[in-house]
Amino acid sequence: MDTKDQSTAGAANPYAQTHEVQKGDTLGKIAQKYYGDASLYMQIFEANKSQLKDPNKIFPGQKLVIP
Amino acid sequence: MTMRNFKLAGLVTVTAALLLAACASQMEPAQTAIAGIESAVSTASADAGKYVPDQLSAVQAKLNDLKAAFDKKDYKSVLANAPALLSDAQGLLGAAALKKEEVMKAMSVEWTSMAASLPQLVSAVKSRVDMLSKSHHAPAGVDLVAAKTGLADATAMWGKAQAAFSSGNVEEAVTAAREVKTKAEAAATALKMKLPGAAPAAG
Repeated sequence: MDTKDQSTAGAANPYAQTHEVQKGDTLGKIAQKYYGDASLYMQIFEANKSQLKDPNKIFPGQKLVIP
Repeated sequence: MTMRNFKLAGLVTVTAALLLAACASQMEPAQTAIAGIESAVSTASADAGKYVPDQLSAVQAKLNDLKAAFDKKDYKSVLANAPALLSDAQGLLGAAALKKEEVMKAMSVEWTSMAASLPQLVSAVKSRVDMLSKSHHAPAGVDLVAAKTGLADATAMWGKAQAAFSSGNVEEAVTAAREVKTKAEAAATALKMKLPGAAPAAG
């Protein structure tokens, strides 16, 4: 898995944490990375509903808010 | 003793008496001058010590020199140097007031900035704490307990900062807000969050 570390860019709150989706990422993998628990992937999906329609479809380059 | 010697002895005695009298007549004004300077320093010392400590120290050092001269009965020197030192001592109050105004302006600007940013920082930390509290296994290196404690402290301190600002105490408000920032940033670090301008969190 090739992921970039969380950053703070691209959010209204300058301290909000974001993750730029890399090839091979899934919400489960991202949840595992930041929360240590892949089952919390829906929390990331809910926080990014403005740009995600399906939790199984994320694309490289998307910047996801990590609550 | 010849008449000439007698006259000379008399002259010496009169001269000595005049010198003593002159000396004694300078003692009281010298004492008064020192007291005046001490009073001016005392009046200004609280604010001067806080806002212009170097200036206060310089005046106090000169005052000590003046007192040493007085103890050596060098009243002439005391009277010669006292006016300038009194002026310096009286200037302390004004200098402290100017510096205080400058500091207060800077603190008002700092408060405005922190009042906008700190709630966002605390909110971001709280969001992560809430999420990690739901996790069965926090990521390695994350200290959730420390973060929760830091967040609670920061939240309580922010309440104090806001109360101080509401009551017009900008200095106390800014001091408390700085503590909020320190605690919230420490909590964020414990959660391995990346803060703006900081190096990327490891892991």
